[in-house]
Amino acid sequence: MMYDVCIIGSGAGGSPVAYELSRAGFSVVVLEKGKEYKEEDFNKDELAVSRRELFTPDLKDEQHVIYELNERKEHRRYLGSEHQWSFWNGSMVGGSSNLMSGYFHRMKPNDFKLLSAYGEIEGANVVDWPLSYEELEPYYEKVERIVGVSGEVVSHSFLEPRSTSHFPYAKLEENGVTKWFDSACKSLNFESIPTPRAIIPHAALKRNGCSYSNFCGSYGCATGAKGSARAALLQKCDARVITEAFVYKLESDATKVTKAHYYDSDMKTHEISAKIFVLAAQAIESSRLLLNSKNRFFPYGLANNNNQVGKNLIFSGGGAGEGRFRFETLTNEQQKELMEVGLFFNRSLQQWYEYKKSDKKIKGGTIDFLFEHQNLIPRIKRAFYDEREKIIWGKALEQKIYKELTTSRVLNFEVFNDWLPTDECFVGIEEEIKDKYGIPVGAIYLYSHPIDREVGNDLAKKAVQVLEEMGASEISYSISSAPPPNIVAGGCRFGENPQTSVLDKNCKAHELENLYVTDASFMPTGGSVPYTWTVYANSFRVADILRKRLES
Amino acid sequence: MILNTRRNFFKKSFLGGAVLLFYNSSLYGAAEPLKTLTLAQVDLFPKVKELHVDTASYLLLILDHSRITASHKEFLRNGVQWLHEESLKLHGKLYYNLLEHERQEVLQEISEYGCGEPWIDALLTYSMEALCSDVVYGVNKKDAAQKWLGFCAGFPHPKRAYL
Repeated sequence: MMYDVCIIGSGAGGSPVAYELSRAGFSVVVLEKGKEYKEEDFNKDELAVSRRELFTPDLKDEQHVIYELNERKEHRRYLGSEHQWSFWNGSMVGGSSNLMSGYFHRMKPNDFKLLSAYGEIEGANVVDWPLSYEELEPYYEKVERIVGVSGEVVSHSFLEPRSTSHFPYAKLEENGVTKWFDSACKSLNFESIPTPRAIIPHAALKRNGCSYSNFCGSYGCATGAKGSARAALLQKCDARVITEAFVYKLESDATKVTKAHYYDSDMKTHEISAKIFVLAAQAIESSRLLLNSKNRFFPYGLANNNNQVGKNLIFSGGGAGEGRFRFETLTNEQQKELMEVGLFFNRSLQQWYEYKKSDKKIKGGTIDFLFEHQNLIPRIKRAFYDEREKIIWGKALEQKIYKELTTSRVLNFEVFNDWLPTDECFVGIEEEIKDKYGIPVGAIYLYSHPIDREVGNDLAKKAVQVLEEMGASEISYSISSAPPPNIVAGGCRFGENPQTSVLDKNCKAHELENLYVTDASFMPTGGSVPYTWTVYANSFRVADILRKRLES
Repeated sequence: MILNTRRNFFKKSFLGGAVLLFYNSSLYGAAEPLKTLTLAQVDLFPKVKELHVDTASYLLLILDHSRITASHKEFLRNGVQWLHEESLKLHGKLYYNLLEHERQEVLQEISEYGCGEPWIDALLTYSMEALCSDVVYGVNKKDAAQKWLGFCAGFPHPKRAYL
């Protein structure tokens, strides 16, 4: 059978295309490496989901080789399975969107023109996008309606232009401690913003509302309130989803992709023919598949005759911090507010999305605040060591665990700023190391530009001011060059020049007539927010382009 | 059912085979890994016994899991050897033949070693996993940690064991 569209990957990058085109009457097949789980399969089994990482591949079977660039410009090599260093995020229908926390921020207009707005940065490949915020805005709005984004629009220094005045879903219920936060921000003259979330507060869109389990990040949503690509899109369309289908090669002639070859769970090979192929296997794996799909027309990998595939890999820059609130310093009422379980914290700061330093305009970022994850075991493990960092046990440990978990609570913050694209951060292939399918694994070359950490530190200091004003103790933060594996983009950046980009403005490969890439790979710069909303929006945009193409 | 399967596994696992011990540069004898590990777990966190958490069964269950690496299992087994050899050095007896305060002294001593502290951390972690495990795993039948710590989140619970 010849499908109209074959999509590789069922996450936030692939599903909007599947949803739109199948609903428009086109034949769509989605090849997904992972299994299918539905709401009834999801629960809060910490041992399976979190401790043993049920939803990501075992590194013994599938891994990456990681090269870290040190200060002497030498690469240090890490075999993922040896060092338990995983870049997997969620192999399942709907991909990692099932496991996201759903902190949804739009990119700002200047994020689309970083080079024009802030100028060149030595050692970084900063460029403008071939697309403007205004062009993507209708699709951000579409995601709000179809995937479901809840929140409250408040005026602030960097509120992006909106075509609607409100979110379609009211903000989720909030913990009383948000009042302390708002009050602290007011004292500091900071602009507190309710964080938009891809979680619907009540039944809508043929999904249940949030049950306030407080286990969003890393866990599948048992009610369907979280806007995963599966719950919001794939379960509502007729696209055929083939699970446990690992695509190991795209076959092409000189101008077109002709077939996708995949292994099933029994290691049997299959092939799919289609008019159009859409690649959305998440940034690192999409580049890997293209690089592994060499043929006589593309001897360096598919769509890679200009040696751009895998280049300019980016992550979210920044880091995380925290402060602890202890009963000793709180009134009885505050103690009750602090320990309220289930209600969201949902506060962000974007006042320094752009700021001045030594009279220079600097691109800053976003700070999200959230309570420490409800997972019990990591919170208990934090009590294992005393103030001298020596391990404790017995009664001393028992008392410490009880005190920490029943009379205090940690408020975290996460900093998101640009991870500048550079020549040193990219995806390659490690020919000698094969996965369980016998296919060479991806090699991840890591490097973070020093400015990334400088900006992250500037932002973290603002977050610390809020925690201090709120009365938190034991405040600390870490801004580093460690890449967050769940916020990764680039590798197939879009642009107007085929010499410096893989995709054109429509996310079609410059070198092939029918290959599109719609996961975060297309992003030449990442903005200073989590990527998922932008990936969804862009995929809806490409879906419109594909529909017009198929209709014509 | 799960635990029965694990017990069958135990016969073949690294926990089933004895650990050889050396004292004063010569072979002293052998020690039972599971007996050692479960006693050390209770010595490190006696609350598990008070809360009726079956840490021994949990060890059998979890150490059979595909995500627990061979090198980690080897590390745990090596720890059994260090523990007994330290016991022999300090008190001339195997760890599980010592009095409670003597065992604490041994634990204190090995916690000072480079590998001793992570070994204790690993045992404590498995105790906490058992303590916080869902009832479907059969080792924490009364939601012990949840009641002890007043933990009322984490719903829905699993209907079957995913591990």
